Amino acid sequence: MPSSASSSRQNHAEQLIARLNSVETPPESKLQDLRNMKNQIIGSRTKKLDYLSLGAVPCIVSILSIVVASMHSGGGGDELLELIAIQAAAIIGSFACRLESGVEAVLEAGACAFLMILITHQNEKVVDAVARSLKWIYQSKLAPKFYFLEEKNMEFLLSLLNSKNENVSCLGANIITRSCQTRMEQQALSGAGVITKLASLLDGSLSQREASLESLSVVMKKNPEIITKFLGYQNGGAVNFLTELIKDKHPRTRLLACACLIVIRNSCTTYLQDSRIKTGLVQTLLELLEDPDQVGDDAPFVLSSLIAEKEDLQMIAFECQVIEKLCNYLEAGPFQAKRLQGIFLALADMCSELECCRDRAFSLEALIYIKDALKHDSADVRTAACIFLRNLSRSVKNMSAGHFTNANITSPMVQLLCDSCPSVQIAALGAICNMVIDFTARESIFMQGGLKQLVQLSKSMVSAIRVNAIWALRNLAFLVNNRCKEEILLELTIPTLTSLICDPETSVQEQALALVRNLVDGPSDSVKYVFDEAGLLLDAIGKKLHSTVKIEVLIQGMYVLSNIASGNEIQKEAAMNQLFPQCWNNTQTSFIKFLQSTDSRLRIAAVWALVNLTFPNSPGACRRVIKLLNAGIISQLKTMVNDPCLDVKTKNDKREMCLNLSTQTTTK
Amino acid sequence: MSYLLNQLNAVRHLAEFEAMATSKKVITREEWEKRLNDVKVRKEDMNKLVMNFLVTEGYVEAAEKFRLESGTEPDIDIATITDRMAVKKAVQCGNLEDAIEKVNDLNPEILDTNPQLFFHLQQQRLIELIRNGKVEEALEFAQEELAPRGEENQSFLEELERTVALLAFEDVTNCPVGELLDISQRLKTASEVNAAILTSQSHEKDPKLPSLLKMLIWAQNQLDEKAAYPRINDLSTGALEDPAV
Repeated sequence: MPSSASSSRQNHAEQLIARLNSVETPPESKLQDLRNMKNQIIGSRTKKLDYLSLGAVPCIVSILSIVVASMHSGGGGDELLELIAIQAAAIIGSFACRLESGVEAVLEAGACAFLMILITHQNEKVVDAVARSLKWIYQSKLAPKFYFLEEKNMEFLLSLLNSKNENVSCLGANIITRSCQTRMEQQALSGAGVITKLASLLDGSLSQREASLESLSVVMKKNPEIITKFLGYQNGGAVNFLTELIKDKHPRTRLLACACLIVIRNSCTTYLQDSRIKTGLVQTLLELLEDPDQVGDDAPFVLSSLIAEKEDLQMIAFECQVIEKLCNYLEAGPFQAKRLQGIFLALADMCSELECCRDRAFSLEALIYIKDALKHDSADVRTAACIFLRNLSRSVKNMSAGHFTNANITSPMVQLLCDSCPSVQIAALGAICNMVIDFTARESIFMQGGLKQLVQLSKSMVSAIRVNAIWALRNLAFLVNNRCKEEILLELTIPTLTSLICDPETSVQEQALALVRNLVDGPSDSVKYVFDEAGLLLDAIGKKLHSTVKIEVLIQGMYVLSNIASGNEIQKEAAMNQLFPQCWNNTQTSFIKFLQSTDSRLRIAAVWALVNLTFPNSPGACRRVIKLLNAGIISQLKTMVNDPCLDVKTKNDKREMCLNLSTQTTTK
Repeated sequence: MSYLLNQLNAVRHLAEFEAMATSKKVITREEWEKRLNDVKVRKEDMNKLVMNFLVTEGYVEAAEKFRLESGTEPDIDIATITDRMAVKKAVQCGNLEDAIEKVNDLNPEILDTNPQLFFHLQQQRLIELIRNGKVEEALEFAQEELAPRGEENQSFLEELERTVALLAFEDVTNCPVGELLDISQRLKTASEVNAAILTSQSHEKDPKLPSLLKMLIWAQNQLDEKAAYPRINDLSTGALEDPAV
C-alpha cells in the first residue's frame, strides 16, 4: 500500500545517490542514474524536496568538479564526460528552478564556481545546459553578488552578453538584473558599453528581449545620465521600440516594457510625459492584472511604481476606473498572497492623495475587503491592508460619516497591535493614528483596550514602532476631555513620558512633546497635567529645548512651554524658569536664537510664549518683562517688527502692546 | 491556395465598396472572376505560408523537400522539428514516459515551467496505466506523482479525481469519464506538448493558414448581408459556387 510504496521509492532514491557517490560505479551507469534523477525531479516539487533532503546536490556538484578537473587536465573531448556534465547541469538547474531551498542547497554546495568554469566549454550543448542552470540561480534573490567593478569580471560579463548562444546572453542580462545595485555599478556597466548591448538584445529572441528589458530597468533606475544615453541610442529608435513593446503579444514582455518605461518616466521628468503614453501604460497594466500567472501577480506592483506620489497619474488611473477594477478583483478572489498584497498596495497608492479615489473606494465597500485581509495568514497582506486603510482614513468626510465604526474595523485593528510581525504593527499604528482623530472611532478604540496597547508599544525596542505609537497617542489626546487625558497619563505615567522626551530618536522626542502639548492644550486646568511632584517632566522639557538642534523638536517644546505660560502665575513662573534658567550663562543667546530662527514656525512659537509670559493681567508680568529686557529680548523683538512672516508680525504687535502697557505701569 | 487568397481579397474589397448599398447586389460569375484576376498574390508569400504550415505541424520530410524544390527557407531549424515530432509521436502512441524523457532532453525547462502541461502528461500516463489494466501500479502512480500536484492546485485536483474515477467503473467505455480513454485525449495532450515546445523555441505555436481560412469564412459571411456573389463553400476544393438568383 501507499506507505510501503513511498518507502521503497525512498530506498530507490537513496541507492541512486549512493551509486552516484561511489567511485566504483562505471561512468555509463552514472550517466543513466543522472538521467533518471533528472527525469524524476523535473516538474515535481515534492521529488525535488525528497532528493534535496537525501543530499543529492552535493553529490551532483562533486560530479561537476570531476568534469571541471578533467577539462583542466586536457581531457576535453571525452564524450561520456560531456554527456554527464550536461545531465548534471540540468539537474542543478532544475533544483534551482523557482525553488528557494533548491537554490540554497545549490549555492551551499559550491555549484556556481564550477558552472562558471564550464560555461566556457567547447561543447555547445554543455554550455547550453550550464547557462540554463546559472540562469535559474540568478533569477533567485539568493544568487551570489557579482562584482562588476572588477575588470576581469566585467570582461567575463561582456563575453556572456556577446555570446551567440541565447541562454548565455540571457544569463549575462540576468546577472546584471540581480547584482546591479549602486550608482557606481550602473556607471561602470554603462561605461563598458552594456547599455548598447542590452538595447540590441531587445531585437533578439523572446527570452533575450525579456531578459534585457529587466536589466535595462535596473541599470537605468534613478540615473538620468544613463537614461539619456539609452534614449539617444539609434536616434530614439530604442525607446520607440520600447513603447511599441507595451502592445506585444506576450504578456510578460508587455509587463517588463511597462516597468522599463516607468523607470524612464520617474527619473527623467521631461520624457514620456505624453498623455497617450500615460493612459496606455495604465490600460496595459490593468489588462495584465487579469493574467492568471506570475505576470498578474507582478502587475499591481508595477502599477504602484507608476502612480505612487503622482497625482496626475492617479487621476488618469481613476478615470480609467482602476479603483473599480481592483475592487472587482478583490471580490473575485481568493488569490495568492503576493497578488493580494499587490492589489492592496496599488489601492493604497491610488487613495494616497485624491479624495475622489477614497470616495469611490468607500462606495465599493473597500472596508469589507480590508477587514477580511486583516486576518490573512500572510504578514505582507496584513501590512498592505493596513496601509490601504491608513490612506483611506485620510478622508475626513468619510471618517466622520462613521464608516470605520460601522464596519467594526476598530476591533481587528486593535488586535493587530499585538501582531507577531513588526511591519504589521507599524502599518496598523499608521492607520490608527488617523482613525483616532475621529471621536467615535476614538471612543471605540479606547473601549477595546487600544490605549493599553499603544502605551505598551511606545516602549518597544523598535524605534519605528515607538514613534508611531506615540504619534497615535498624540492624536488620541487631541481635543480630548480631561477624563481621557487623565486616563492616558495614568496608563502612560509621567516617568515614561519623561524618558520618551529624552529618547535617542528625535522623531520620538518630537511626538512625545507634541503629546504633552495636546495634554496641556484646552481648558485652563489642563496645564496641571505637566506638573508632577518632582517637576521631572518640566525639567526634561526645558533641558531638551536648550540642547536639541532639531527644529521640529524645538517647535513642539516651545509650544508646550507657551501653553504652560498661559496658565496661572505659578505656571507662568515655571515656564519662565525653563525658558530662562538662572544657572546658564548662554541662555540669553539661546532664546534669541529661537527668535532669529530661519524657520518661521519656531519664531511664531517663541513670540507666543513671550505674549503669554507678559500678559498684562498677571501679577508677575512686570517682573518678567524686566527680566526679558535685561536678556536683550525686547530689542530683538523690535527688529522683528517687519518680520516677513505675517503671523510673527501680528504676534509681535500684540507683544508690543503688552510691553507698552507694562512699561507705562513701571514708569508710573 | 491562391484562389482562396484571391477570394479573400476580393470579398474584402467588395465588402468595403458595398458598405453604402441598401439592397443586395448580385454579382455574376463572370464579373467576379474578372475581379479575382485583378487581385495579385505573390508566390513567395504563398510558399512561406505552406512552409510555415509544414514546419509547425511537423512534417519534416515534406518541409525538407519543399525547401529544396521551392527555395523557401523555413523560419525554424528543421533539425529541431524531428525532435519535436518524436515527442508528439510518443504521446500519440501512449508512451508517456518516453515522451517526458524526450522533452527533458530537448529542453529541461519546459516541464519545470509549465505545471499544467506537466500535469496533463502525468495524467495521460495514468490513463495509459489504467487502459492496460495495471490497476495497482496506477493507484501507486496517482498517489506518488499526481496527488502532490492536486494539492498544489485546485483545478488539477478536480481533473485527477475525474481520472481516478475511471478505476471505479467496470465498463469504462460507457462511464461518464470514458472520453479520457479516447484517442482524442492523447491527441489533445500531444498537441499541448507540441505547442509548448514551439513556444520554447520562440516559434508561433499555431500555423498561419487556419487563421487565413477563418478570415475568409468570416469575410464571406459579412459580405453575404450585402451581396450575392460566387462563394467558396468547400475550402478543400476552393470551387466557386454561383450565387442564388
